[in-house]
Amino acid sequence: MISAVAIERVLFAVLAAFMLSVPWTVPALVNSFWVSVIAEILIWSLFAASVNLLFGYVGLLSFGQALYFGFGMYGVAVGISDLGLSFWPAFGLGIAAAMAMALATGIFAVRLTWHYFAIITVVFSLIFYFLALSNKWLTGGDDGINFTLPPTFALGGTTWSLTDPTFQYFFILATVAFCFWLMHRVIGSPLGKAFLAIRDNDVRAALIGLDVYRLRLLAFVMAGFLAGVAGALFAFFGRYASATYMFYHVSGEAVVWAIVGGAGTLFGPLVGTTIFILVREIVSTHWEHHALIVGVVAILVVIFAPKGIVGLWNAWLARLTERGAVPAAIDTKLRTEP
Amino acid sequence: MSEPVLRTFELAKRFGGLTAVDRVSFNLAGSRLHAIIGPNGAGKTTFFNLISGLLSSDSGRTFFHGHEITGLKPHQISRLGIKRTLQIKSVFPQLTVADNLWITGHVAQGEGHGFLNPFRAASRDRGTQEKVERTLEQIGLAALAQRQAGTLAYGDVALLEIGMALISQPRLLLLDEPICGMSPAETARAVGKIRELARTIDIIIIEHDMEVVFEIADDITVMAQGAILASGSPKEIAADERVREAYLGREEDEDYVEEEARA
Repeated sequence: MISAVAIERVLFAVLAAFMLSVPWTVPALVNSFWVSVIAEILIWSLFAASVNLLFGYVGLLSFGQALYFGFGMYGVAVGISDLGLSFWPAFGLGIAAAMAMALATGIFAVRLTWHYFAIITVVFSLIFYFLALSNKWLTGGDDGINFTLPPTFALGGTTWSLTDPTFQYFFILATVAFCFWLMHRVIGSPLGKAFLAIRDNDVRAALIGLDVYRLRLLAFVMAGFLAGVAGALFAFFGRYASATYMFYHVSGEAVVWAIVGGAGTLFGPLVGTTIFILVREIVSTHWEHHALIVGVVAILVVIFAPKGIVGLWNAWLARLTERGAVPAAIDTKLRTEP
Repeated sequence: MSEPVLRTFELAKRFGGLTAVDRVSFNLAGSRLHAIIGPNGAGKTTFFNLISGLLSSDSGRTFFHGHEITGLKPHQISRLGIKRTLQIKSVFPQLTVADNLWITGHVAQGEGHGFLNPFRAASRDRGTQEKVERTLEQIGLAALAQRQAGTLAYGDVALLEIGMALISQPRLLLLDEPICGMSPAETARAVGKIRELARTIDIIIIEHDMEVVFEIADDITVMAQGAILASGSPKEIAADERVREAYLGREEDEDYVEEEARA
């Protein structure tokens, strides 16, 4: 008898094995350019995960996550080029800046829900986008800040640095995997259940004793953390920071990736981001209107698969394993994902 | 004399020009099942909303076991032990039946004053898990434990709501038309459950089904046009002339005044 868990485990193992072998298999199969595309996919899927945490698990649709991504980027760039920080303090500064910004704006934003919430998140990100553009002395405006990478680890005479593409790939993979694991833990915890309850019915959640405002604020700061880590990684990856990544267009892309992949599923953002970046990389060299494909796919998924591609997969898997299955004994075990 | 379980003093709420709750002073002595009845638009649900903090009152005060709870937020009032069901059935539709009970029970156990541990798997809370299983048996939904609450039949949702009230270990339970829309069989089951609950928990119930009210209530309060019209034992209420007037002598045109005023 095939069980859904077994299929998922095998799939996960295959994916993990592939991800761990990318620096060797991908250059052999295609070329080494694709290693950095995969690294970029990982970073952007972490960014989409921050949208997913808010929308898929707490029910807040943010169109302003690029603000925290941008703060993660600038934290790193300003830390290294202006403050002369080394790798880890700069990384920490980027994450801290993103979380502080999420806290400061979240205090106002999470008082609102639905379209009001979406609008206020856009407004905040626009305000800081234009501030970043006009304060060239700090941000470099459109040109951004370029910096030289400090080494990640130095032990005795040997140093490891992101200038080594293989090390860079594994550093990004490890960081993104760690963040996804963190998110998985939180979703399966009592806090995660409380998030889901608020997503489903906030009035009811308050009546059973949940402090809806504080929990939403907490989720907002957590999403700021994910976006901040993604932004910091992207700064290290590109060795620069630029205000263009704070534009709401960037936020909007992440919303599409998360929803198409499957909001409210752990791996939805990864699937969505992978599809869209692959389309962009493959099609854009042949056809300039590749954004049309993105639009059509997004519309089709929203209409025919409201829970995204991962949602479709889960439903298919459930049907496959239910067929012929003996009616299970009463099982009150808790699910970790809806 | 000991403090009543619930005491309101001149509680009032207006929506624009409409006085929904008009200086209501109400006492719940305790250890009784108290029913509030009255025509539609009498202010019963608004009264519940004031007690549970979903609405804030314009004037007046509310005390729970002698502690003032006027102006507290819904989650704060809930944590003091006042739990309620809503008139329009209200559960977490995308969560399973078991998870609906789990989160309600977990919050209610109040470990660490509402601290929700993000670093511990929810499934490791054996205490809540056992309570969930017990509650599922009690409300007879064990077979549907893994169903999404949003896919349940209406009567089962109502039972789940009662289950959520049960597992939340209330000190005072406010039930807003708990059996509205149920089939006769479901009604009998729910009424039995409510009676059983009333032995250990103080309950205030809003109900339109007079048969049920007169069958289960120890005391009845009648509200009309936002104010308390009469209060007493079922016998006294049945004999009360003003109550009959309120029910029989008026048009039904005030049915949705309250809802409209809120919109």
